[in-house]
Amino acid sequence: MASLTPLIDVVFLLLIFFMLTTSFLQTQSLAVVTPAPSVDELPTDARVIEIWLLGDDTIAIDGQPVTREALTESLKQAIGERTDLTVTILAEKGSKPQALSAASAAARQSGAKSVGTARVERIAR
Amino acid sequence: MIEFDQEPPRRQFETLIPLINVVFLLLIFFLLAGTMQPAENVAVSLPKGALNDKERDLPSTLIVEADGFVWLGDRVMDARLAGHFVKQHLGEEGARRVAVKADRDAPAEAVLELMEGLREAGVEQVTLLTERGS
Repeated sequence: MASLTPLIDVVFLLLIFFMLTTSFLQTQSLAVVTPAPSVDELPTDARVIEIWLLGDDTIAIDGQPVTREALTESLKQAIGERTDLTVTILAEKGSKPQALSAASAAARQSGAKSVGTARVERIAR
Repeated sequence: MIEFDQEPPRRQFETLIPLINVVFLLLIFFLLAGTMQPAENVAVSLPKGALNDKERDLPSTLIVEADGFVWLGDRVMDARLAGHFVKQHLGEEGARRVAVKADRDAPAEAVLELMEGLREAGVEQVTLLTERGS
């Protein structure tokens, strides 16, 4: 049965090829709104809820700190019935994309009328 | 004196067959379970997210490295210039939808800066790529 050996060789080669080239990492996609050209163009009246992405990698809704996990719930509560609100995501210097994607996802799920993003040097607290 | 039965010498291929079975199983597992992806020259660890819009066939991917620099293909540029560059590089048609792969340690303002540039370049939809998880 010497004729089996080349087959095994080839199968091993294929196995190693697939082991090295496959990736099990599943990527997801999240469509986001593109930011306003400048912070001044965002609406600043009372019908705005701001999500602050702070430089120390924490998140706050209108000044109230929230965890990333609780962000969607808190935002829904903050909006309540007032679905004509605009959600603004403000990213301070030093914030991370993790917070940005979480905030975008939360803003979308919250049912707010529109979402805007902007970056600022530092959020005045 | 006790006499032991001598085992008949096994033929070689008999011992090989379970091995081949297992190797075939592994091969089929990797064929079915894995997905092939084109290699990228920058490795980024994506942020985790729960939402999935299942956008497929995004024509071009921009990669934001942990230090804030942006890669398009094998070119690297500053986040501020990326929009202009994308327009030049991909033409008017290819630049309507763009995927952004941002490292989780990248500065968010670089991502936003990049998105501002993309918007000025006429990109209609930006998609952030995330990893499943929370």
